Amino acid sequence: MELNLVQISLIAIFIYLGSIGSIVGNTIGWYNLGRPLVASFIVGLILGDVQSAMIVGIPLQIMYMGNVTPGGAVAWDLSYATYIGTAGALFFGQNLEPTELIGLAVVFAGIGGLVGQLMWNVSYALNLPLNRVAQKYAEDGEVDKMYIPNVVLGQIIGFTCRVVPAIVVLTSMNAASKQADFVSLIPSWITTTLGIFGGMMAALGMGIILSFLWKKQYQIVIFLFGFILITYFGLSTMATAVVGVIIAVLYFFMDSKEVK
Amino acid sequence: MEKKLSNKTLNKSFLNWFFFNGCSQQAESMLGMAFGQSMAPVIKELYEDKEDRKEALKRHITLFNTESQVGSICNGIVCALEEAKANGKCTIEVINSVKVALIGPTSAIGDSLWVATIIPILLTICLSISQSNSQMSWLGAIVYMIVYPIGTFCLSKYLFKLGYKSGLDGMQSLMANGKLDRLTQSMTILGLLVTGALTASFVSFSLPIQVVKDVFDATTNTTIPNVVLFNADNMLNNIFPKLLPLLLTLGVYYLYSKKKFSPIKLMLIIFIIAIVLTWVGYQTGVYA
Repeated sequence: MELNLVQISLIAIFIYLGSIGSIVGNTIGWYNLGRPLVASFIVGLILGDVQSAMIVGIPLQIMYMGNVTPGGAVAWDLSYATYIGTAGALFFGQNLEPTELIGLAVVFAGIGGLVGQLMWNVSYALNLPLNRVAQKYAEDGEVDKMYIPNVVLGQIIGFTCRVVPAIVVLTSMNAASKQADFVSLIPSWITTTLGIFGGMMAALGMGIILSFLWKKQYQIVIFLFGFILITYFGLSTMATAVVGVIIAVLYFFMDSKEVK
Repeated sequence: MEKKLSNKTLNKSFLNWFFFNGCSQQAESMLGMAFGQSMAPVIKELYEDKEDRKEALKRHITLFNTESQVGSICNGIVCALEEAKANGKCTIEVINSVKVALIGPTSAIGDSLWVATIIPILLTICLSISQSNSQMSWLGAIVYMIVYPIGTFCLSKYLFKLGYKSGLDGMQSLMANGKLDRLTQSMTILGLLVTGALTASFVSFSLPIQVVKDVFDATTNTTIPNVVLFNADNMLNNIFPKLLPLLLTLGVYYLYSKKKFSPIKLMLIIFIIAIVLTWVGYQTGVYA
């Protein structure tokens, strides 16, 4: 697969919009466009292969489920990771089995995440002098110009730090794919390893999310209940979610004793 | 005459915060400049005098941090306090100390309830929508793209208004009300159940160990080649289906939450295990 300039630019712009502190706000950006489920869908639309994009998007979302940002600390730049990861999988992973495609996506997501992490630190440092600009406007009582240091200057830095490196990474991926048909060169044991790795990585997201939700010891049975609804009863995940909603509603309304 | 903030100004203040809260995040004032921008229209309407505007702007570009979506309640409260101050009913010291005091609880509620509970639960539900229909696996993404931003916008706006109308009392009533706890617990039940389901459907982990031998069949006097006499994975799955994925997930949980392993460290460990398993699998002939 080969990307044209428009596709590369579009992906790069979405990486910027989906990263933390972009101009659309964290609700629409980081927590929405930056989530793997949404990001892979968008990459799929841009590259014209939504089906394959979702094959990697769903497991990527599960792996990175625990990636939240307590206190503004970015553990892993999710936006970079998933846009690059999905693009990389679609790019190089023609004719691969789904599990191998997922493994490939995880590797590219790792590369993207590292670049994103680096650029986040750069923009975080470059934003520091903006405080002086804001103080100057405050000294002059310029109520109508407070947007300049925050939005205009802050986003010039943010946009440059996200879009430029993303274009560089995507263009070099493009150039590399023209050199050779890499997938046919990869020995089968590597794709096997990637497949195993991809399947196991889902445990990372689930394990971390469990640490957020599992507060009292007995609650583990609820988790196990969801587990056996799939394994023993053969329900779909959607059916399990419906069961979950019913139990949650019952719990909310049944025992309404006032706590005194 | 008593000064009162117009709806238009309040909306502008809220929207400035909602869209631009992270635009100039850095280590010195965190979200301080964004908070200043959010307060700018309020200051413009309340204070005519340049000196007053200057002082007000200066006190709102200082250090401020919160979880920005739930933290809009801080902006609402500070709007109310600035209004009181312009009417001579509040002092600068009160405004500054309230702002600092709000950082902790709003960050805590925002991070633990909204970011770490509601978002993953909504994502798991959307994942199950995608998962259950492979032809329309994009459906979950679309549902999330619609529900999450609109829902959060409404919540954020509601909290902003609540903060403005009832000030600190609003904050307290929100935190003291048992309903919030109960809602969190119900959501946790849903979250845990769906997490269990997703673990069963998505985590794959197997022991690639098997014993293959040629078996001599005495009844027909022939040798049947390559009969699998023992397969570790089938055996374990007969005891409890998907036992290994379950144990792997609980293991990751244990290392992450009790032993404080970082996600990147866990990822490397998983990668090493994957390489070892591949090697074992090739040795025993599970992967050919």
